[in-house]
Amino acid sequence: MTVQVVIKPNTYFDSVSLMSLSTKANQVEGVEQAIIAMGTEMNKGVIRNVGLMTPEVEEAKNSDLMIVVKAATDELCENAFVSINELLTKKNTNTGKSEVKYSTISSAAQSIPEANLAVISVNGAYAAREAKKALENDLHVMLFSDNVSIEEEIELKKFAHEKGLLMMGPDCGTAILGNIGLAFANAVRKGEIGIVGASGTGSQEISVRIHDFGGGITQLIGTGGRDLSEEVGGIMMLDGIKALDEDEATKVIVLVSKPPAPSVEEKILAQISQCKKPVVVWFIGGDEEKITKAGGHFAKMSKEAALKAVLLAGADESKINKRALNIPLIEEVRAKLKPEQKYIRGLFCGGTLCDEAMYAAMEKFDNVYSNIQKNADYLLEDNNVSKEHTFIDFGDDEFTKGKPHPMIDPSTRIERFKQEAKDPSVGVIVMDFVLGFGSHEDPVGVMLPAIIEAKQLAEQEGRHLEILGYVLGTDLDYQNFDEQVEKLIAAGVTHASSSQNAGLLAREFVVKGE
Amino acid sequence: MRYAISGDSDFIQKIKASEFSGYVHSIFNRTVNIQSLENGELYTVACQEIDNGPNTLVIQVERFNTINLSVNDQVYTENNFLHIANKLTIAVDKAALWESILPEYPQKVEILNRNSTKMRDYIDHYGIGGGMKKSNHPTTPFEIELSRLLEERTGLLLTELFNNRHSEAIEKASKLIGLGPGLTPSGDDFLVGLFTILNLPKSPTHPLKDFCLEVVKLAKPLTNEISYMAMQKASIGKVRESIISLIHSILYGTEEDLILSLNKVLKIGSSSGTDIALGILAGLEANKIAGGKV
Repeated sequence: MTVQVVIKPNTYFDSVSLMSLSTKANQVEGVEQAIIAMGTEMNKGVIRNVGLMTPEVEEAKNSDLMIVVKAATDELCENAFVSINELLTKKNTNTGKSEVKYSTISSAAQSIPEANLAVISVNGAYAAREAKKALENDLHVMLFSDNVSIEEEIELKKFAHEKGLLMMGPDCGTAILGNIGLAFANAVRKGEIGIVGASGTGSQEISVRIHDFGGGITQLIGTGGRDLSEEVGGIMMLDGIKALDEDEATKVIVLVSKPPAPSVEEKILAQISQCKKPVVVWFIGGDEEKITKAGGHFAKMSKEAALKAVLLAGADESKINKRALNIPLIEEVRAKLKPEQKYIRGLFCGGTLCDEAMYAAMEKFDNVYSNIQKNADYLLEDNNVSKEHTFIDFGDDEFTKGKPHPMIDPSTRIERFKQEAKDPSVGVIVMDFVLGFGSHEDPVGVMLPAIIEAKQLAEQEGRHLEILGYVLGTDLDYQNFDEQVEKLIAAGVTHASSSQNAGLLAREFVVKGE
Repeated sequence: MRYAISGDSDFIQKIKASEFSGYVHSIFNRTVNIQSLENGELYTVACQEIDNGPNTLVIQVERFNTINLSVNDQVYTENNFLHIANKLTIAVDKAALWESILPEYPQKVEILNRNSTKMRDYIDHYGIGGGMKKSNHPTTPFEIELSRLLEERTGLLLTELFNNRHSEAIEKASKLIGLGPGLTPSGDDFLVGLFTILNLPKSPTHPLKDFCLEVVKLAKPLTNEISYMAMQKASIGKVRESIISLIHSILYGTEEDLILSLNKVLKIGSSSGTDIALGILAGLEANKIAGGKV
């Protein structure tokens, strides 16, 4: 191991920039640890305690910026400094874009009379109040904030319904309106399929698969995760279906959610039966018979839902690459795993992607644990410790308190990955890498050093570590989809071509004795 | 030419009387620090979205990165104008005068009790980890060690303070100065919050304000000049408007006032706002012990 230090005399960066630089520096390829801090005596003491003290650090002054990098070789250290310097320069030269700021929604609405939508992301305590103001100003609302009470949600949705407006959220993280992605969304082709989704990454997955099959999206309307609860009654999903049914550009409607509350399901099925257009329904774990009886097109998994939608919109089936499951690969991987390597560890940024893979596993195994399990018997006692088959949604509240969402800052997942990779009972680690607006600029890249290290460690210990990665994205996403996939493959990761395939492959890899 | 919107009344008086000169010390997107040649203190020219503060002038500008300022640019004053080299001229004649005045500690403490509890819960949920608030998932040995030291040293300081062992408390406080990776280290920010409360007029801990002055005497060689200036001002009860507003809300405000003002403080720096807020809560705890009131 090598430790190298650069001291930048009399250099001040604001704290937010320093923290962001420090996070990014720790994700530079080959870096085991990077520290960026002011050269105070106390900080030098901490560096001494963690064994990274050098004569240069000893000499640093209070007003100096210390950059300390520990990596395997001198060359890796130097590469890291080049990357860190680029980040520092970027921070110094980033002039930002000047935007008009309005202090209230009403003043914004008055100044931009043509606006018809407000995207609101404020503290939950004030979110409902701001959403109400937007609705009063005749604006549709996408409410990204969570921690809004269910009573407030019901009041807002009823008010919006009466005014003929969309009230997307609270806790609505994904929408595509007029081909513009809002919050977390992918760049997809404009087309003839409309989506109403109560789950963010589930809706992203459907939109991406539709794009991959050659179709396109008219609108993707998010409802917020609680919309289909008994209390809220599916107000937004019902309004969303109605809006898409009346939209001339939309030929097919897709619904995405976990199973609704029974009374809400009845209302939705009743509305489906009234629709002029075909409706594909992907309710994870949903009831095929009921949906079919109502005239809906049932889909058990995400890829199936997207394919049905594209075909119903008139695509030529013979021209579609359906991304069939790689069956020979399953036998190949099974043969590499030792008998004791029998568990799946799913580490996900997207909640619905986690759910889909978990449901696939639950079809063959009983012992499937998670932090988002519906069955309380299989909820993890400690979310930081895996048990048998474990699926973690890192976007869940416990992991995001005071931290950005893992689709923006994947550092927590990286650490957990390192932990799982050392477990000799693990057969496969499955992960998602979500591209698109709002997501990390290089989600695969930040994970690569940990993946390479884990693969090497497993090899030294004489075991095969199967890592399965799914890149949720399109060729239009700014992160460069092909490059992300190539990076994974080059690191020895098996690439799954859809969320559905990722879930099925992970499950099949660890089935023993078939 | 730009107009100043508001500013520290002493700073504005110095400009009006042409009694201020110095040079640019450091430049950020939203603030420029100037070192005074008269008293060596740092003064800040801040963009319009920044709140008032000690030694601070808030001016009509969105960002400073579009103005070609450089470190060491000369700063001088002339009648009602502050000039930075020949690059920026600021007129102060229409600026609103602001002064840092802390509210008095209340006689009845029901609101304070309720708001302290609410504030702690809110910070548990929304505060930024990595400084005084433990990160849920520290990722490097440096972060883990830093977190351990902050926790250990804060605990030792408060134990000494609560037991009225002042000279020991001063020594323990000095071990927090400069501890933390940000521009204003977490230990410094915590002390800013603590000093603010110890300076509240009529509070049970008001006699402890000399403790703040003693700690600051040790601080200069232990931290950078920007952070030192914030601590030095806090030690005499001079803090930013957003912190005063938060203190007022804790002592006298509704829950909505509290959350609004707390959010503004939590947005300071990276974890700085959370570190300051936790210092404030520690100060209120000291009052509880000193006066049996909170």
